[in-house]
This record gives sequence, structure tokens and C-alpha cells, in this order.
Amino acid sequence: MTKNRETRDRDRRPRKRRSPEAGGSSSRSAGLLIAGSVVAAAAALLTLVSAGGAMSSEAPVEGLVFGLWKVLYATEAPAPRVITAAIAVALALAAGVALLEQRIGNRSRRSLNINTKPLAPKVIMAATRGVYAGPVTVTVLIPAHNEEASLPLTLASLMDQSHPPEKIIVVADNCTDGSVAACRAAGVEVFETVGNTHKKGGALNQVLSQVLPGLGDNDVVMIMDADTQLDDGFLESAVRRLSQDRALMAVGGLFYGEEGHGMLGQFQRNEYVRYARDMRRRRGRVFVLTGTASVFRPAALRAVAQGRGLSLPGKHGDVYDTAALTEDNELTIALKSLGGLMISPQECTVVTELMPTWRTLWAQRLRWQRGALENLGAYGITPQTMRYWAQQLGIGYGVIALGSYLLLIMLMLLALDEWVWFPFWLGLGAIFTVERVVTVWRAGWRGRLLAVLIFPELIFDMYLNFVYVKGVIDLSVGRQAAWKHVQHPASSAAAKTAAMTTTPGSHP
Amino acid sequence: MITNHLTVPAGLLLPHALLESDAFAALAAFVAINTVMYVALAVAKILPKVYVSDWIRRSNERSEPRGIIPENATNAPSEG
Repeated sequence: MTKNRETRDRDRRPRKRRSPEAGGSSSRSAGLLIAGSVVAAAAALLTLVSAGGAMSSEAPVEGLVFGLWKVLYATEAPAPRVITAAIAVALALAAGVALLEQRIGNRSRRSLNINTKPLAPKVIMAATRGVYAGPVTVTVLIPAHNEEASLPLTLASLMDQSHPPEKIIVVADNCTDGSVAACRAAGVEVFETVGNTHKKGGALNQVLSQVLPGLGDNDVVMIMDADTQLDDGFLESAVRRLSQDRALMAVGGLFYGEEGHGMLGQFQRNEYVRYARDMRRRRGRVFVLTGTASVFRPAALRAVAQGRGLSLPGKHGDVYDTAALTEDNELTIALKSLGGLMISPQECTVVTELMPTWRTLWAQRLRWQRGALENLGAYGITPQTMRYWAQQLGIGYGVIALGSYLLLIMLMLLALDEWVWFPFWLGLGAIFTVERVVTVWRAGWRGRLLAVLIFPELIFDMYLNFVYVKGVIDLSVGRQAAWKHVQHPASSAAAKTAAMTTTPGSHP
Repeated sequence: MITNHLTVPAGLLLPHALLESDAFAALAAFVAINTVMYVALAVAKILPKVYVSDWIRRSNERSEPRGIIPENATNAPSEG
């Protein structure tokens, strides 16, 4: 009976591999599926409204503002039933995704199936009941590829923590600069990779294969980028949470952008502030365990390594799937698939670098986009990936919505001979403005000022939308991802080299 | 420029009639509905979030403590 059940469970597990051919085709399907779905949704709505009756409008009329200013205005607005239906659909979709995610999360959390969900809280609790594996200790692994400029700051931020780590290991991967010497000077252990051709994931796999076997259940591993500084209290908070909950498998950081880089820097800081706000509103429910800094229990990493090549993509025995372009996103999905409980608490914040130019931003985001889609392609549509699929569809639809909005504005500007005000739309615009400012409040006055202007951020969003479209098209036509290694002028220690690559983080 | 104005009598660069076409009406309606949808989501983002699960206490209660020092642990250090 048991054997039958095990066989059944094993058979149920998706067997996926990202071999160049198979992986490519599943990724391509992901691109086509998303592109097809959003275009179909937009076309359906367009067809529906083409029948007419959605809008009620009259010819513009002349009016006086304060008895002085003569203006033309039009009372154009959607019919009340259309407004009601649109609001209902939007809220139902948002609530539907949230409820679905919660339901799936709860079900996974309550699983008792040791084969399919070896990291589910109940399974972990059963395995560790009545056993004390010692206090929580922290070993930090910092993959570094020519990070001489940024490593001193990173190491200082670690050593200055209110709860400093027990051990720091810099994983020097094909370094040709003074990274190794800088680490030794700081009294930090260095692990030099041997023959690694798989970049960050490969380097981490090498060091983890050495480190993991010697760790107890509570000897946690933090993996952080060499260009990131932990805010004080990060480790204290992570250790407290991992001590309070032995079923907690990972603690992720929330990242904020460094200072500088002018308006482009502010766009990115605003974006990260909004992301952190969303995470607070999700009460820390993890979306991505950021590669900038996340803490893992050894059991979680061991289970992932065990699952690779069976229920998870990748080579059996590797913690990281070296084929993934965004390895932190992939590892998060892997842990979720195994039922692991994780959290990104708001006290665990890190400051990470920003892209200094539009070109490096383009490359970074294209990589994130491609990485996220390829990971979805590799995992397919599973309960744990539903939320990510929904997000991709949402972004895709947003591209069409924002594009058509900007097109409409442009056509009107070019075809109107006299300026016409639309009070209804101005009112909605005011609500948008409030939302932009409220969601970015913590970014300070510069962030709020940029948000209140609306259009600069819309243009920034449109730029990211172009990246999204490029990513989907490249993937759909099977174009190979090629990543350049860009050298930044080292204007500051944080504005370091080789930035352009990850979910804030890895080197190419 | 003068020629432009002569050939396009009403409208800066495009004929004014474009704004009265069916295609433009469809685009305007499409944008209008999307805008209302996104405004609804924007309002949801501004307002404080409601956590429905907080109202259902039982589903959130843990059946046992989860600390790393479990009660009755056989090899836990004695405290104090």
C-alpha cells in the first residue's frame, strides 16, 4: 500500500528538465501562452465595446472658470452600468488571485505528504519534535566575481550587525582583481571556486556542497550579494524568527535602492519602495526570496538539492539550477513547490545597487523578465506557480492598457484643434495621482515629487513595458539570451561593476 | 506649415474627423473601461488592507509551539 502510494506520488511529480531543446520549447510555450492570453483578453474587450453604448458623450461646450477663464469641456464618461461592471471585474480579479494564492498556500502548509511536500511545516515539525539542535547560528556566503570595490562595505555591514554572523565565507569565483586579498585582509574566509563555468549558481553549488553536510538543523545559511549592505537589525530579526519557528525554512530581505543616479535612480527607488509596501501589505508573504540577501535553513537547501532532477528542474544534488537566469526566483519557486514556509519581514531590509544608465537597466530587466518566464516554463502551471502566471498576465495586459491609453492621448493631441477638458477623466487622474504619491510616501519628498507628476513615471513604466514585450517576443521565437558584462565607471563603491544582471543581484 | 494647415483644416496634424470615426470611438471606450478598472485597483491600494483571515481566528491558531527549544525536549539545555 505504502509502496503503491509512493509510486503514485512519484508518478505525479512533473519531470521537467531544462535541456536546451525541451527547456527551450517549454519556455517558448510560456511566452506564447502569456502573449496569446493577454492579446485575446484585450481583443475580447475591444470587440465588446466596439458594439457601442459603452460611452455617453456630448459635443464639447464652452464654460467659464471663476467667471474669467473660458474653457471647452466635454462631459464624456462611460455609462454608469459600464463603470460598475469595470470596477466589479477589476476587484473580482484582484481578490480572486489573492484568495487563490491564500488557498493554495494554506493547503500546501497543511500538507502531510513527505514525498511531495518534504518541507511542509507539519512534516518538519514531526521530524524535529522533541529534538533540540542548538541555537541558531549564521553562516554567510557571498558569491563574488571581481567585487574588490564593494566587498569592504558589504563585509562592514555584516560585522556591524547587532547580531553578527558566526562565519562569513566569500565565494571568489574567477576573480582577477584584488577581491581575495581584500577578504583576507578583513579576516574573512575565502572559498575559491574550481573550474566553475556556471556563474553565480555554479559557484554557490560548489561551496554549498562543502558547507551543507556539516550544518545542524539550526545552523542557517545566508546567501547575499557582494554589492549589498544589510541594514542593522536584519540578522537579529532573522535569527529571532528562525528561533521562534523551527518550521520556517527561509527569511528573505526587502531591498531598497542606494542613493544617487539622478532621476533614473529615483524611478528605481520609487519602484522598490512600492514593492516593499506591497510586501508589508502581504504581511511578508514571500514573492521572491531576493538574491540580495536571504537566509535559509539547511534542511530547505538539502531538500531542494534532493528534489532536483526529480520533481524540480536542475541537476540532482545541486542547490541552484544553473540553467536559471534568475536563480533567486527559481529557488523561491522550488522551495514553495516543496511546501516550505518562508517570510520577508519588514525589519529585514537591505540596500542594493541601482542601474546607472537606461542601457544597463534594459539589460537587467530583460534578464529578470526572461528568467521569470523561463522559470514558469520550466515548472509549468502548478498551484505554486499560479500567482506568478497571474502576475505575468497582469503585466502583459498592463502593456496593452497603457499603450492604448498613450495612443489615445497622442491621437487627441494631434487631431484636436482646440484644447478640451474632460472633467470625469481629470477626476480619475486625480485618484491616480493620490495612489502614486501614497504608495511611494516612504521614498521621501523627491520620490513623492516624481510621483505627483504622473507622466514621468508612466514613461518609465512604458520603458519597462518595452522590456517586457522584448522578453516575451525573444522567448516566443526561441531567441537565445546573451548577456554582456558591462563595466560601470566606479563612481562610488556601490556603483560597482557587472551590475546588469539579476533580481537585484548576481553577476553574469 | 501653411500647406499643412490647408490640407488639414481642423486639427493640428491629423484630420479632426478621426475623432468621430468608429475606430476611435472603440479605442476611447476600450481605454475608458481599462482606466476605470485601474482606478478601482488604485483605490484598493490607497485604502488600508482588510485581512479577512483575521476574523476567522481558529484557522490561524497553531496546534503546538514551534520554537527551536521544544517543550519536553530530551536534550534541550536547562534555562536559568
